[in-house]
Amino acid sequence: MSVDASPATPAPLGKIRDFVLASPHRLAMPILSFPGVKLTGVSVRELVTNPPAQVAVQRLLQQKYRTSFMLSAMDLSVEAEAFGSEIRMEDAEIPCVTNRLVTDDAQISRLEVPAVGTKRTAVYLETVRLLAAKPTGTWILGGMIGPFSLAARLYGVSEALQDTLNQPEMIHALLEKATAFLLAYAEAFKRAGARGIIIAEPTAGLISPNAVVSFSSPYIRQIVKRVADDDFEVILHNCGARLAHLPATLQSGAQIYHFGKTMDIPAALARTPADVVLCGNLDPAAIFVGCDPAGVRERTAALLQATKASRAFVVSSGCDIPPDAPLANVDAFFDAIRDFQTSIVP
Amino acid sequence: MDPIIREIYDAILAGNSKAVEAKVPVALAAGLAPKQILEEGMIAAMAEVGRLFEEGEYFVPEMLIAARAMQAGLALLKPRLKEGNVQSAGRVAIGSVLGDLHDIGKNLVAMMLEGAGFEVLDLGTNVTPAKFVATVTEKDVRIIALSALLTTTMASMKTTIDALAQAGVRGKIKIMVGGAPITEVFARQIGADGYAPDASRAVALAKSLVAA
Repeated sequence: MSVDASPATPAPLGKIRDFVLASPHRLAMPILSFPGVKLTGVSVRELVTNPPAQVAVQRLLQQKYRTSFMLSAMDLSVEAEAFGSEIRMEDAEIPCVTNRLVTDDAQISRLEVPAVGTKRTAVYLETVRLLAAKPTGTWILGGMIGPFSLAARLYGVSEALQDTLNQPEMIHALLEKATAFLLAYAEAFKRAGARGIIIAEPTAGLISPNAVVSFSSPYIRQIVKRVADDDFEVILHNCGARLAHLPATLQSGAQIYHFGKTMDIPAALARTPADVVLCGNLDPAAIFVGCDPAGVRERTAALLQATKASRAFVVSSGCDIPPDAPLANVDAFFDAIRDFQTSIVP
Repeated sequence: MDPIIREIYDAILAGNSKAVEAKVPVALAAGLAPKQILEEGMIAAMAEVGRLFEEGEYFVPEMLIAARAMQAGLALLKPRLKEGNVQSAGRVAIGSVLGDLHDIGKNLVAMMLEGAGFEVLDLGTNVTPAKFVATVTEKDVRIIALSALLTTTMASMKTTIDALAQAGVRGKIKIMVGGAPITEVFARQIGADGYAPDASRAVALAKSLVAA
């Protein structure tokens, strides 16, 4: 059997996980949006503020690489902005939060949970709606930040990390509000036509496994219980997680997991149930930006070789690929997948 | 180890700032030398914190609260260290480079360096090359530590290093770099003297750079 970057026929309706486990091909799902601005000439600012601009980029990327998935862009400032955080927006950079919105119990108590559609959350919902309106035989996936990562952005990342130890009740109070919003946001993506959602929880990679069990997994489990079904799957992304985090992360109940460069993927595959799909984990900066195409091809091939025994794996970048990654490197990634000749051991 | 110093050491490991603040005056009142309190109670504790982090037993929150506890004790000890003319391990200026507003990695490295006995000048975020040059010129630093979290801002590291060279001060200092997109290869390409993948190893790197 040969591995292929994408199947020649449109993806069947059904669960992503089942499709992955049954596929004779090694599937690819890089977190790939921002480098696509080179295809249309829009800026990163336009991509994250203008749904038709984002849709055009996503469609061109899917046509070019013939992937089974189309993703809304990974933008971890959107939800905090909806709550009222200040955002720095630049033409060529992904937006980022610049202030602490809440700093104590009283402020957390007064913090209002925004309505879904507030500020640029509307951009991503509309992007998914437009993508879903024109079916291309691919799974359309929405994207949002995870509860702990959102709480950390609202409270200040350093401060939130410290207060998981010093004032845990306060962090939990903030997590309740963050999760309330994310529950509604996930439901909105589902109504917009997404077949799943990628929940990005990178800040949970900085805390201990015990802290993940307390401050992240239970809140993600709430989202999974609310929205996951045969037509909508939750993919949990944690680019900072290491092998030690795996059991705690699996407690979230997500169906698919997406990891970054810090995860030992072959070891993780050996430790997860056979029906749990893992994705990852080529370093977006060091490989997609820092290598030349030959280097990308070599590193991709090495990962494919290391994981060839498992069906439950989707090759991917470890996190979102930065805007300045050359498209030649993305080409090399997909070339390596097509060229890799191996059999997946059932 | 003296029992009071042991209590300071344990309090730092536990991230207990209040206990550290309570015990440092007790140690001083007992006649213990400020240098001994610093080295055996504080720097040794932070070295253990770094080891526990590298072993995967401590994570970023544990490091942060330990560093804060150490800083709380150091604030009480500093006047006495100055009186006794106790020298730091070296003066380091650290900042996130031009265009980069992210600070958690930079903050953690700054705290760990201070915990290792370095004098740290934290220049903040979005620091211009000119500011780094001025700091070297005016503050007599031994090491410049550059942080970047984005692939789009890491180019400012080379710009900063070039500016230091053009100002004629490159030979006076060592330059270390770090941040999520940074690699050893990149550090060599831009002419840095060293790269550290995390805050704990940044301390070891800084020590080796001042010893070189």
